Amino acid sequence: MLKLGIDVGGTNTDAVLIRDDQVLGATKASTTADVTGGIVTALRDLREKSGLEPAAIGAVMIGTTHFINALVEGGSLASTAAIRFGLPATRALPPFVDWPEPLRTAAGGHSYLCHGGHEYDGTQIGPFDEAEFRAVLDKAVQAGAESFALSSVFSPVNAEFETRAAQIIAEQLPGAPVSLSHEIGRMGLLGRENATLINAALRSLAEHVTAGLTRTVAEAGITAPVFLSQNDGTLMDIDYARRYPVATFASGPTNSMRGAAFLSRTRSCAVVDVGGTTTDVGILQNGFPREASTDVSVAGVQTNFRMPDVLSIGIGGGSHVAHTAGRTAVGPESVGYRLTERALVFGGDQLTATDIAVAAGRADIGDPARVAHLERSLVDAALAGIGERMAETVDRMRVSAEPVPVVAVGGGSILVPEDLPGASQVVRSEHHAVANAIGAAIAQAGGEVDRVFSIGPQQREAVLDEARQEAVDRAVAAGARPGTVEIVDIEEVPLAYLPGNAARVRAKAVGELSLGGDNDA
Amino acid sequence: MNGTRRTSPHPTAAAPAGLNRLTPADLPALAAGATLLGSGGGGDVALPARLLRHTLAAAPVPVVPAAALPEDALVVHAGEAGAPDVLSERLPCAEDFARAVRAVETATGRTADAVGIIEIGGLNALAPALAAAELGLPVLDGDLMGRALPRIDQTTLALDGHPACPFALTSPAGDTVLVPTCTPRAVAPLLHADIAALGGAAALALHPVTAGTLRTSGIPGSLTACVRLGERYLAARDAPPAELAARLGARLLCAGRIDELRPRHGAETGSVTLHDHRDGAVVRVDLLDELLAVTVDGETLAATPDIIVAVDAAGHAPLRCDQLRTGRTVLILHLPALHRWPPEAAHLVGPRAYGLTLTPATGKTPAPAGAAPERSST
Repeated sequence: MLKLGIDVGGTNTDAVLIRDDQVLGATKASTTADVTGGIVTALRDLREKSGLEPAAIGAVMIGTTHFINALVEGGSLASTAAIRFGLPATRALPPFVDWPEPLRTAAGGHSYLCHGGHEYDGTQIGPFDEAEFRAVLDKAVQAGAESFALSSVFSPVNAEFETRAAQIIAEQLPGAPVSLSHEIGRMGLLGRENATLINAALRSLAEHVTAGLTRTVAEAGITAPVFLSQNDGTLMDIDYARRYPVATFASGPTNSMRGAAFLSRTRSCAVVDVGGTTTDVGILQNGFPREASTDVSVAGVQTNFRMPDVLSIGIGGGSHVAHTAGRTAVGPESVGYRLTERALVFGGDQLTATDIAVAAGRADIGDPARVAHLERSLVDAALAGIGERMAETVDRMRVSAEPVPVVAVGGGSILVPEDLPGASQVVRSEHHAVANAIGAAIAQAGGEVDRVFSIGPQQREAVLDEARQEAVDRAVAAGARPGTVEIVDIEEVPLAYLPGNAARVRAKAVGELSLGGDNDA
Repeated sequence: MNGTRRTSPHPTAAAPAGLNRLTPADLPALAAGATLLGSGGGGDVALPARLLRHTLAAAPVPVVPAAALPEDALVVHAGEAGAPDVLSERLPCAEDFARAVRAVETATGRTADAVGIIEIGGLNALAPALAAAELGLPVLDGDLMGRALPRIDQTTLALDGHPACPFALTSPAGDTVLVPTCTPRAVAPLLHADIAALGGAAALALHPVTAGTLRTSGIPGSLTACVRLGERYLAARDAPPAELAARLGARLLCAGRIDELRPRHGAETGSVTLHDHRDGAVVRVDLLDELLAVTVDGETLAATPDIIVAVDAAGHAPLRCDQLRTGRTVLILHLPALHRWPPEAAHLVGPRAYGLTLTPATGKTPAPAGAAPERSST
C-alpha cells in the first residue's frame, strides 16, 4: 500500500511517501499558522519531485504537535466545565485544582462536584442523583460553559455515571461536546480528569483543525482515509481525533523514535534526536518507545499520560559556542529557528554548533569559507564536549551495560560523533530529517486495557487472557486487521497493602491497519 | 522497657534542633525523605503532599517532640490504612483523619494534645500533619516504625505491649468504625475486614497514649530526621551514584539493570534480579509491599528493618516496588534505619516476619548495618 506520512511540527511540515519498506519521496516545508498551508506546499513539492499520483495513495497518516502547542500557549481553548462524580469523597481536591491560573482562566475553569462514583470493586459510593446533576448542568451553562468534561471515581472500573450524565447532556444540549474520563485516561483520578479537561478545552480547535486537514487532503485529489498519530505510536481515524485531540500530545517524540527505528531497521536502540536547541535521547524496545515511570506535566498540569521516556540536554544545531578563559562551552543558549540568519556559515555573527560541524568538515552547509578562520583546537574542544555529553546521556538511558545501536536523527544529527562511546554503532539514514513523518506513515492500529482486576485462586491465567482479549478487541475496533493483531505488552502489578488479590493489569495490542481490503495488496 | 532503644543513635542528635513547625518550604524535603524511608513502599506521597501544600500555605503546623509535652498529655496516632491505589481515585481528605481522631477521643474520654505519626515512610509521614491542621493540634516529632512497614502490629508500641485500641476507621463516604476494646490478636483481622468494607482504604486513628509512654516506647525525632534526609537527597540527587550514596549516609549495593521481575502473589514475596554492571555480580532484591532484602552473589548484605531504596539510574528518582520494570537500570541503596530495633523484634520486623530465609554475609563483604547503623550525617 502507498502511504503518505505528514508531520506538522511547530516550525516545519514534513511529508514522506512510503511503499512497504521503501521511502519513495520526502520533502520539508514551513508550517503555517493555519496548519494546512504547510501541507499544501509539501504535497505540491512531493508531486513535483516524485511524480506522486494522489489517487494511488491508500492512506494518509498525520502527526501534529498543534494541539499541545495550543495548550502551552493557552490559545483557542473552549470554555470548559468539569463535572466530577465522587461526593462526599474527593471534595478536598476539586477539578482544576493546582492548574496554573492563566491556563485555568483560558479554559473556563468551571468546576463542579456531584455525588456518586464507584469503589475499586465496582460498587457504588452513592446513587446517581439526577436532579443534582441537572442543576449543576444548568449552572455550568449559565456560567458560559461550551464543552463538558465528565469524571467519576473509579470510572475505569465502572463508567455508568459518566455515560449516564453524557446522555443527559446529549438530550439537554444536542451537539455539545462531551469528554468522558474513562475513555481518555487511566487509573488516578486527578491525572485522568486533567487529561479529560484538556481534551474538552481543545474540542472546538479540534473541530476546526480536523476539518481543515480533511479538506486540504481532499483538495490535493487524495481520496484515501486520513488518520492521526496517537501518543503510543498507533493511529486514530480523523473523526476520533476530532473528539480526542489530547491523544495526539506525545505523538511527536513517539513518531520521531519509531521513524528512526524504521530507517535503521532495528527494533531496539537508543535514538538521539538533535534539533536546533536540544538533543532528546529515548530508548526503543521492541519497536515502541520505553515509557516514563513518572507522571508527566503538560503546560504545568499534572496528567497521567504515559509519555516516552526522554532525557533532554541543551545541545542542538543552533547552540551558542562560547570560548572563554580556556574553556569551551556549548549551549544551552541557542539561536533556534534563526539558524539561517544568525550562524556564521549563513553570514551571521553568532558562533554555533553548526558552524563547528562545518569547520570540522562534517557538514556542508552555508559558506564554509566563513568558518575557515576558526582555530582547530577550538573546533576539537567543542566537538569533544558535545560528544561527551551525548555519550553520558545515552549511558544514563540505556537498558543494559552492553553497547547499544544509536540512531542519529534530526537536523543537527551531524553533531553526533561516529565513535560515540557506549554505542555499538551510530546509524544514520538519508531520510533522518523526516523521521517524524516516517513514524506517522508506518503506524499501526492499537488497543489498550488498563484497570484493576480481582484475581481469585487459580484464575490468574484466565484474567490475563481476558485482558489480552479485550486489548485485541479494542485494536480491531480501532481499525486493525484481525489476523495481524498481536499483544506487544502485558503487565500485572498487584495492589500494595490490600489483602486479597487485586491487581492492576495493563495489556496493549497492535495490528496492521485494515482499509476494507481494497488497497491492502 | 528497652534500654538500648531509648539510647539508640539518632540522626538529628547532632543537628542544631528539631523542627518546631512545618511550613510550605519544608514540604519538598518532607515528601522526598518520606519516599526514601518508604523503602520502596508506603504509598505515593504526591496526593497528601498536594493537600498539605494548600494546608500549610494557610498556616504552618506546629511540631512538638514527646519530651516537650507534659508526661500525661494524650497523643493519638493517625494515618491512612489500606491500598494507596484506592486513594489515587477516591482522594484523601483531612477531615476523614480528624473524624477518626475524634472518634478515638470520644472512646477514651479525653481530648488529644497532639497527633502522632504511625509510620514515617511513604504517605503516612504526611497524613498526620493534615489531621493535626484540621484539629488545630501540633504533630508529634516521632513515629512508631522508623520507616514504612505493612502491618499495624509492627510498631514500637505493639512490641512493648501497648494496646492499639480504642481505634477508629473512617471512609470519605461518612462511615465511621470504632473499636473501643479488642485483644491484640484481633487488631489486624478487624482492620482488614473494616478496610475491605470501607472500599479498600480508610483513615485510621489508633494508639492513644501519653507523651510519657512515647518517651520510653516511641521513636523520637523521626519527623525532623525525615525532613533532613529529604534535604540531603534533594541537594545530592544530581551527583554521581557514589557521591549520592555518601551524602545520604547510604551504601551503594548495586548499580545495574533489572533482568527479571517475579511479582509478589498475595502474602508470598516476589523479587527482582539484577546484574550489577560494575562487577557483574548477580543481585536479588526480595520484596512484598516494600523492598525487604538485598542478596549479592548469594550473600545477604541488607535486610528489613533496614531501609532499602531503589532509585532510577537516570535522574535518581526513588522507585516504589510497583514501579520496578525489567530493562530499567537502577541503583540499590542501603540506608541506615532511623531506629535500632532490639533483637527480640526480629520476628516482628526482620526477614522472618515475611517468610524469608536468607544467608547472612560472611566476613569477606561488609556486614549489613542493620544491627548497628553507622551514621554519616553530622
